[in-house]
Amino acid sequence: MRLSSKNKNRGKAGGRVSFVWRTVPLLLFIFILSACQSKQGVYIQKLKNQHYRLIVNGSPYIVKGVCYNPIPRGLNHEYDWWSDPNKPWIVDGKLMKEMGVNTIRLYQTHDNPEEVRQVIRDLYNLYGIRTFLGDWLGFWEYPCPFYGDKKFQDKVKRQVLEMVALYKDEPGVLGWILGNENNYSCLGHVKPWSSEEVDQELDPQKQKAMRAKIYYSFVNDISKEIHKIDPKHPVGLGNGELVGLEYANEFCQDVDFVACIIYRGKTFGNLFKSLKMTFDKPILLAEFGADCYDAYLKKEDQNMQAFFLESQWKQIYKNLANNKEGAGNCIGGTMFEWTDEWWKHTPDNPETWKIQDTESGWSNGSYYFDIRAQNNMNMNEEWFGIVALGEPLENATPAGGQGLDKRIPRKAYYVVKEFWKNPVIKKSGGKK
Amino acid sequence: MKKLLVVALALNFLVPAIAVAEEKAACPTEFVVYLDKNAKDNHYIPSGWMGDYGDIKMNDQAADNPHSGKTSIQFMYSAKKSQNQGWTGVYWLNPANNWGNKKGGYDLTGMTKLTFWARGAKGGEVIQKVMVGGVNGTYPDTASVEMGPIELTDTWKQYTVNLAGKDLSYINGGFNWSTTVDLNPEGATFYIDDIKFEADPDLKPEGKKQEAMPFYIYADRTTVANHFIPSGYMGDYGDLRYDGASKDDAYLGDTCIKMTYSGKGSQGARWAGIFWQYPANNWGGVDSGFDLSKATKLTFWARGAKGGERIEEFKIGGVMGEFSDSDSATIGPVLLNKEWMQYTIDLKGKDMSYIIGGFAWSANVDNNPDGAIFYLDEIKLEE
Repeated sequence: MRLSSKNKNRGKAGGRVSFVWRTVPLLLFIFILSACQSKQGVYIQKLKNQHYRLIVNGSPYIVKGVCYNPIPRGLNHEYDWWSDPNKPWIVDGKLMKEMGVNTIRLYQTHDNPEEVRQVIRDLYNLYGIRTFLGDWLGFWEYPCPFYGDKKFQDKVKRQVLEMVALYKDEPGVLGWILGNENNYSCLGHVKPWSSEEVDQELDPQKQKAMRAKIYYSFVNDISKEIHKIDPKHPVGLGNGELVGLEYANEFCQDVDFVACIIYRGKTFGNLFKSLKMTFDKPILLAEFGADCYDAYLKKEDQNMQAFFLESQWKQIYKNLANNKEGAGNCIGGTMFEWTDEWWKHTPDNPETWKIQDTESGWSNGSYYFDIRAQNNMNMNEEWFGIVALGEPLENATPAGGQGLDKRIPRKAYYVVKEFWKNPVIKKSGGKK
Repeated sequence: MKKLLVVALALNFLVPAIAVAEEKAACPTEFVVYLDKNAKDNHYIPSGWMGDYGDIKMNDQAADNPHSGKTSIQFMYSAKKSQNQGWTGVYWLNPANNWGNKKGGYDLTGMTKLTFWARGAKGGEVIQKVMVGGVNGTYPDTASVEMGPIELTDTWKQYTVNLAGKDLSYINGGFNWSTTVDLNPEGATFYIDDIKFEADPDLKPEGKKQEAMPFYIYADRTTVANHFIPSGYMGDYGDLRYDGASKDDAYLGDTCIKMTYSGKGSQGARWAGIFWQYPANNWGGVDSGFDLSKATKLTFWARGAKGGERIEEFKIGGVMGEFSDSDSATIGPVLLNKEWMQYTIDLKGKDMSYIIGGFAWSANVDNNPDGAIFYLDEIKLEE
């Protein structure tokens, strides 16, 4: 069939149209594909208002997390819970999901990568819970962490990079946290270390600065190496309070966020603004919370714990991105901790691991309800759990000499759950 | 009928009159604490003696030149540190000696200020502060308001504590004064008269004021401008001796602070230190922080008795309690010289809007095995 000139013209026009129609979907497909690709992974986004937020696979993500170390009653931190046939994380994950937890923080991985993968996968596949994986950076080495020693540095770095290589492709991994309160070792308060160069300096302030430079440069170096092999997950600097971060600002710019350990009672005070001034990075409250034992009245007080935790979460939400009232640099928190740990007060005496010790281990005036306890000792290390541990469940397989301890959610579990469901940030009161 | 009408008319006039009287009775314009000895309107009893209570003598019927009436209250403060506290004060409580363990507070809603008259026997006597409310315990006061320091003159002068906007619904501690040995090293005799709460509807609430700079923590022993009290002894507190009136080569003025740390480990902590707090012994339980937002640095002068004494930390802020300091800043460790040297804590970027702990230091026995003697002077915040 011959086409009329009109039709020819239409045909030409139609040819352009059909070319466009053929091309547009292709371009659209390429655009969507590239957009999807750019949205994969976990990263920190800096907004125009200088606020920060965490993005996970293209969507903003508030870390609503817990520190996780499910040691059964009667056992201590050396217990290998990863291979527990009861799979405590399955029971815990269900409860966590019901509460609204979307993240756990693990301080250190385990020797058996398959078991680690299993935990990460189970939590993610069954409950959508993601995992921050951490490394102590040799902090608990005896006699001390030799951060000034190249061999020590290489050993730790190798260990961390192995962890990253092993788990970076796990969809449940949210990011990496390097160290915990290791910065205190630079001050000589805990695990003090030195080097020949530091020892030659007589001024203790300069010594401190030298140690901080060594430590934060080392963490920075690891962070850079991680980014090379895993560009899809952020790296956090574990840090006790904001101590030493003026040095981190100088020597540790390659971390993506700060993972702070903060115990300041009902408020974090000026933490968020202060961090912005000192080291402008987003902050994860990587460890915070309250115990539920009133050391003054000598009895469990779940109201006290719930009061502090609710108040702390309000502060976290107030300082998330795009909240005008806050600093906009908070990405969430992992509260300390999911379950009680009965071994902590006297770690060297196995007899005491079977009972929940009520003796306080330290003093903190910010937790003021029981600060009038004898010698102001009011912090009860074995009572920080959002869930308490009870008699083993009947159908649990014996592990480590006993079955899986029953999980008993405390009041804080329900209070925080409600807050996450309806996060109303109003000024916290002074009463429990 | 006419009689009824008259009664009804009379009632018509009387009812509003009665209502007005009742309204007046419900809203008194003043509430007396002390007018004269045994005045029927007096409330509260000056029974809460604090600190070095053995240093105080009270005469509540001093007839020597009262401000009004026949008597005033005379206080004689010997400053002998009978209880080794270095400070003293008296609370007017209801009933006597009730530190909040039983109900006794008055509802003073509607009152907007407390006024009193005071004079010194010589002039120059210093009351560190006066206070309304602030009693804790099982039945705590609903407000805690303070004013001071006050340097008295030898003639009567009226002073006012602004209470506008405060919740005065339960006040058990009607009035209180306190002072220190440092402010009155030779003791002090002073008189107080005509203490009363008043309702002044025009008085506006006092906003939290930003303190002007320089803001002294320590200038000289007797300086009225000193703020914060070195009351927060920490760690091996038994190892510490504080002398706020040392004349061992003060850097400026007549006196400096001499700190003696024995390093004996009296409490087994192996470290010790002192926090300068406001008020004394406030670890964040009392809402009383200063707004020091104008400060950009804290400076002080220090020297060691021998040189080489090591102070782990000098600090401002960081008191954590129900009412926590808004921030903290530190320097240290510092190795002291034998000669005076000035040190600076940089406060730029710090939030100094609420500070209870104005200054602190800490040292440990590991770095001072034989203890340490050191001196501090001219501790102040500057713009």
